[in-house]
Amino acid sequence: MKVILVGGDKTLYFLCRNFTSKGYEVVVINREQKEAVQLSRQLSAVVLCGDGSDPEILAEAGARSADAILAITPNDQDNLIICQLASLQFGVPRCVALANDPDNAEIFEMLGVTAFSTTDIVGSLIEQRASLEQITNLLPISGGKVNVTEIVLDNKSPVIGQSLKDIRLPEGTLIGVLIRDNQPIIPRGATQLLDGDHIVLITLPDSHGPALKALLGDTE
Amino acid sequence: MSEKSILVVDGEQNVRTMMTQALEPLGIPVQTAINGEDALKKMETTTYSVVFLDLKMPGMDGLKVLRHIQQERPGVRVVIVSAHGSVESVAEAMKLGAVDFLEKPFTPTEVRDLATQILEREVLETSQVIHFPDWATLMHEPVSDRSIACARDIVCRAVSTGPSRAEAYTLLASLFEVGFQRLEEMKQLPKVKPTEPFIEGEL
Amino acid sequence: MKKTGLYIVIVGCGRLGAHLANRLSSEGHSVVAIDLSESAFPGLSADFSGFRIEGDATQTAVLREAKVHKADVLIATTHDDNVNLMVAQVAKKIFNTPKVLARVFDPRRETAYAQLGIRTICPTSVAAGLFFDAISEDE
Repeated sequence: MKVILVGGDKTLYFLCRNFTSKGYEVVVINREQKEAVQLSRQLSAVVLCGDGSDPEILAEAGARSADAILAITPNDQDNLIICQLASLQFGVPRCVALANDPDNAEIFEMLGVTAFSTTDIVGSLIEQRASLEQITNLLPISGGKVNVTEIVLDNKSPVIGQSLKDIRLPEGTLIGVLIRDNQPIIPRGATQLLDGDHIVLITLPDSHGPALKALLGDTE
Repeated sequence: MSEKSILVVDGEQNVRTMMTQALEPLGIPVQTAINGEDALKKMETTTYSVVFLDLKMPGMDGLKVLRHIQQERPGVRVVIVSAHGSVESVAEAMKLGAVDFLEKPFTPTEVRDLATQILEREVLETSQVIHFPDWATLMHEPVSDRSIACARDIVCRAVSTGPSRAEAYTLLASLFEVGFQRLEEMKQLPKVKPTEPFIEGEL
Repeated sequence: MKKTGLYIVIVGCGRLGAHLANRLSSEGHSVVAIDLSESAFPGLSADFSGFRIEGDATQTAVLREAKVHKADVLIATTHDDNVNLMVAQVAKKIFNTPKVLARVFDPRRETAYAQLGIRTICPTSVAAGLFFDAISEDE
């Protein structure tokens, strides 16, 4: 697997370290000479100093044989153009752009570029995490489009003692597994929920809040 | 509609120029004021039909100017001009009695259409006004400008809306008086007997 | 088109942007000029009768503020090729602006964006063409 990373800063550094540790071949493109030199010393990756949206630099980085390119510069316009050039001129199969302005994530997708927004991801994480202390674990899948949440039922929960088939959960909600006394239970319709049960809940973003409310009650 | 006039209040030269140019084709005098103080000063001497008022101006802001206008010249129609995203101030302005609003940036056509619409609305609303003071206000301008046709139109509406109200007839009477004075001036009629009996005959 | 002129949004109010804004405005078009900094606007002449918006045009909120969805034409003339290319694409694909033009300094990017249906004007190519013409004229 060959990956081109365009950008700088700690995000790039840690991403690169993560990729190289997995045995990926990584080429970094960084604009600032000083930073590029420093990165080349710290990382076991090839570091090019130049403008990632310059077709010549992309060619030099081996874009033609790259499997993926990640554009994570602080400028949205650069990230978009880098990905478009990589895809249009070099046929890179997977091009992903960072949208610093969360509004741009959607825009990029509409312009044919896969995008992610850290603001959105971190924002939703914090929102979900801060809402309830009973939520002990959270894992956003595919950029936050699916949430896997572990919640703990207490005696204030409105569903204690009820069977799953009698509980009205919003659409887009799935109770994946129950953990009772450290034992996993694959739930069925007749399974009753008890105080102290851990529930692994799979939700879509829209149903996340309502599902938590249905299981834990109004905590506000 | 030559008796009407418009005042544009905006801190930016380019916007004043644009609006003046946009309103020119209406054939109504358009004046501009560079800020709130300037606007209030101009309004002391001229009664404008419509005032386009920018909310964000150096010195006295638009809302403050609007409050002054509503207190001192309650009949004047104020259109709020605002930048994108100033919903709250616009809402407040509408509550204070502004008749409409215009969001920047706008095209000359939008300004012109809105002005036309408001001026027409004014004519339409005359058919609903039934209080004497309002009629007096409405009458004031066409009569002082001697546009008899327009004044007569207003009074005819008045009569048709409230046939039982004596006030409208009084106005009609005074209108004819004005009309005849004017005709006399134009010397298109020989100096005949006073107009009194004629009016009574009409009524 | 209409006698009242076109609604034109100009992104980047440098020398070229300001020049275009002044001229289009004096020709009776309705012009909105966007630039990152207020300091760019003095380039607009005294009889510029359009609007000025201070903001980053790579943020869609700013383009929306300029009512790009209502614009007949958008011209991107900032000093950053990538900004111009991004703004042009957003105008064309998302706001459906009928006519979109972008200045691109790097002639190598012209072909890629022609593929995407973005009309670019490259000052270097244009100037080079004029120079070549001038040379052949003299012969």
